Amino acid sequence: MDINVAVAGFNMTPCSSDLVTTRERMTFELSSGLFDDLGITRDDVGTYIIATNDFLDGRTISNVFLDAPVGAYMKDESKVEMDGLNALMYACMRIMTGQYETALVLAFGLTGYQVSPYLHIDYIMDPTYDRQVKLLNELSAAALQARCYLDKFGYSEELLDEIAAKDLSNAALDPYQLRQLSDISKEKVKGSDYLYEPLRELHCYPPTDGGIVVLLASGEKAKELTDKPVWIKGMGQSIDPYYIGDRDLSVSPSTTQAAKRAYDMAGITDPKGQVDVAEISSLFACQEPLLAEALGLLDQGRAADVYASGDTAIDGKLPINPSGGPLGAHPICATGLLRMAEAVRQLRGEAEKNQVAKAETAVVHGQDGVCAQQNVVVVLGT
Amino acid sequence: MRNVGIIGVGYTPVFVSKRKDVSIPEMISEAVDAAFDNTGLTPQDIDAITFGNMHTFEGVNMPHLWGAEHIRSLGKPVMRIATGGTTGMSAFQAGYYHVASGLHDVVMIVTYEKHSEGDAQVGLMGIITPEVMAMLASGIDVTGGKGMGAIGGGSAGGISYQAMSYLNHAGAGIEHIDGIAAMERRNAAKNPYAHLKDPNATAETIAKTPLVSYPIRFGHICPTTDGATVCIIASEEKAKELADKVAWVWAVSNCASDATTGNLIEGLITDPAEQMPCIIAARQAYERAGIKDPKTEFDVIEIYNGFAHQTLMFLEKLGVCEVGEAHKLLEAGELERDGRFPTNASGGVVSTNAIGTSALNRVTECALQIMGKAEGGHQVDKDVHKALAHGWGGLMQYVTVTILGDEPRKG
Amino acid sequence: MEETREVQGAWELSTFKFRIEGDGFQLMLNSMKDAKLKGLKCQECGTVYCPAPFYCRKCHVFIDDEVEVSDHGEVMTYTIGYADVRGEPLDEPRVSCMVKLDGCDTWFMGVLDEVEPDDVHIGMRVKLKWNEERVGSLQDMEAFIPE
Repeated sequence: MDINVAVAGFNMTPCSSDLVTTRERMTFELSSGLFDDLGITRDDVGTYIIATNDFLDGRTISNVFLDAPVGAYMKDESKVEMDGLNALMYACMRIMTGQYETALVLAFGLTGYQVSPYLHIDYIMDPTYDRQVKLLNELSAAALQARCYLDKFGYSEELLDEIAAKDLSNAALDPYQLRQLSDISKEKVKGSDYLYEPLRELHCYPPTDGGIVVLLASGEKAKELTDKPVWIKGMGQSIDPYYIGDRDLSVSPSTTQAAKRAYDMAGITDPKGQVDVAEISSLFACQEPLLAEALGLLDQGRAADVYASGDTAIDGKLPINPSGGPLGAHPICATGLLRMAEAVRQLRGEAEKNQVAKAETAVVHGQDGVCAQQNVVVVLGT
Repeated sequence: MRNVGIIGVGYTPVFVSKRKDVSIPEMISEAVDAAFDNTGLTPQDIDAITFGNMHTFEGVNMPHLWGAEHIRSLGKPVMRIATGGTTGMSAFQAGYYHVASGLHDVVMIVTYEKHSEGDAQVGLMGIITPEVMAMLASGIDVTGGKGMGAIGGGSAGGISYQAMSYLNHAGAGIEHIDGIAAMERRNAAKNPYAHLKDPNATAETIAKTPLVSYPIRFGHICPTTDGATVCIIASEEKAKELADKVAWVWAVSNCASDATTGNLIEGLITDPAEQMPCIIAARQAYERAGIKDPKTEFDVIEIYNGFAHQTLMFLEKLGVCEVGEAHKLLEAGELERDGRFPTNASGGVVSTNAIGTSALNRVTECALQIMGKAEGGHQVDKDVHKALAHGWGGLMQYVTVTILGDEPRKG
Repeated sequence: MEETREVQGAWELSTFKFRIEGDGFQLMLNSMKDAKLKGLKCQECGTVYCPAPFYCRKCHVFIDDEVEVSDHGEVMTYTIGYADVRGEPLDEPRVSCMVKLDGCDTWFMGVLDEVEPDDVHIGMRVKLKWNEERVGSLQDMEAFIPE
């Protein structure tokens, strides 16, 4: 399928634990900054899709005060209440109909506003059972998943340390990431406290403030706006059952289904051979190989060897999360789009210290729900 | 861009104040079952799902995750849309783009609200909680008791300013609001899926309800309802294959203003009755649909009216009649089911308001009228060739418009 | 009907720390100490906002031109309240209105005193009655009264 839609530009904040700003100001600065970069005004944007979460923002209809700052005053704007990569899919669909030439996608998460950073997952929990029993929260569920995954293939907990150390040293090279731990090592990761065994603090994402706007454009328009358009080649979504007892937590069928839809559209039949770089929304260290397997980038049972061999490093055979991924920063709702932005930097050759050698085809992943119940995959190409 | 048609609608068996017999996912499941029964389709036939509701009213974040199985979505793409009052129609429009883009052929739109399991007051105040807190800190009296800082408008809030301004522009009176509210409650009595039914409602009985804040009476205000609505749409090819009667989508449009009358910290307040987004969204929809004269072309109109005066106000803003004419049409009986401009034959939002469904119900009701499938006696008698569905929400700032026809749009 | 059970739950939107843009609001509050109202004007389209946001919604640019708006204006719409936000009846009906202050493009909400509800009409001229003691809070304004 010829989608003929490209990323013309993006603007993202360097992530922080507390951006000391307001939602409106951050939105205004992100969109103005992008308009300035591209030499356009809000008059040139056809439609707007916003991705924020009411529970995270503490506001019903959380896009209500964002229309004017993002530039959508008296224009067409809608809201997808999921990870921003889904909002990107919706914006892309709107352009594909030919009704719009350009679409602006906004996503941000200001976790610094929250009393508890895991609150928005607490409210995803089923109020009639899970919230009554009170065993599950985002971390305990992730820990259950980590234990399932490690035990299935007999990996030791040190695998988590290895993955986290790789990601965090990548993150230290990326100025957009929150965690800048330039002297990180497996030992230092192992030295961090357990949050829920086997997950230690440095195996988990940090509560983050961050945001991003992305401008999508139809083929012709994208070429007018930039000489480095990055093309959306394929996209797909899928969902698993809600109750974690109904799932095999060591695998992610919905990621595989979403990837298949995206790969089919993009003409990818051999992911390991055809994908150059992957940016995956793995919120916990164990999720990275788990999701990479579901994306067809890693063979099951081989994670320990693959990571030890350096294949997933920036200079490896198939770099995974060269930016460091969400262990470096996870602004809820924006993370999938941040992964996309990092992939765009790679494909444009602008990733500086995080740049991988060959970057022509990238796969980007976003997730929602407990233990990645719902997943979205986008394939990008030059 | 390919044509899209509505091939089926499913409602929960009733829309009432409290469904104590089902949980949220179970209630949604009823509407999904109804949609499959009405169309003869099965979950295998559905390529993707869009899902809408105002989750802060029930306190469940991203309920499409909890209800993944109940909406038969396992293994499928699901997109969740939440835009306040317009949620139902925004979810419909998202579904429309899923099909019109060429990505999917058959899409199901699922919406619901279970107000009885939540706290609507918390949900509503949550729209402006930070502003309220800031105002409290600066000496304002948010309850509307005493002093300059009072917001005014009582529990009707800024809507009463809107109603008063509208009556002034239109040269209408409170008795017309009583009259339209009564008409819609009578209409609701012939709709098995409506909530507040009153076959004997008259302007006089509505006028007996207490004034909240002039000119808004209790009788003018929508209820809170438990219910779910599902709509199945398909590409032109698939629709013709799967259904004998189709309501074709001619256009969708959407316009957002800034947060009018809620943002008291920043002076963005102007006339809440101006509703410029409605004028813009309507103009855009008419252009896309090839509607030349909204005054003569629509056979059925469904308006999102959380408050009764909004039916009259939006008929004018949508250009179905001139400013100042809507209440005259009401007096002449032309807005009734057998009039020239049947409006809210379903009873409108003022009779049934499960918020997540309310804007979608405007579309599904228009679709049922086109298909000749409206039950209980609220089907209009004439052939319905073109219908206009309107949605409204946010802080008086969002308008969505959908135009349906009885044959695929040409050109 | 089968047996169902009810379980109690709670959720709080108010457990968040909020940051809001308040500079324009503070500008107005400060000016009220001197019985004046200050807002901001957009340097591109000339729209005057009071209390002001930090940007113009039409032009999408930062604004910081301070201007004074009059404390006299016209009633653009009003309502007569019989109950408060919770639905509790008020002691007596109370008029509140939206006023377009002279020189300002945004409307100001407030109570309208010293006039019978029946005598209120859209288009009537009103002015702010200032408190004798002013500290820079919304309480500095007592009410709108007929001009």
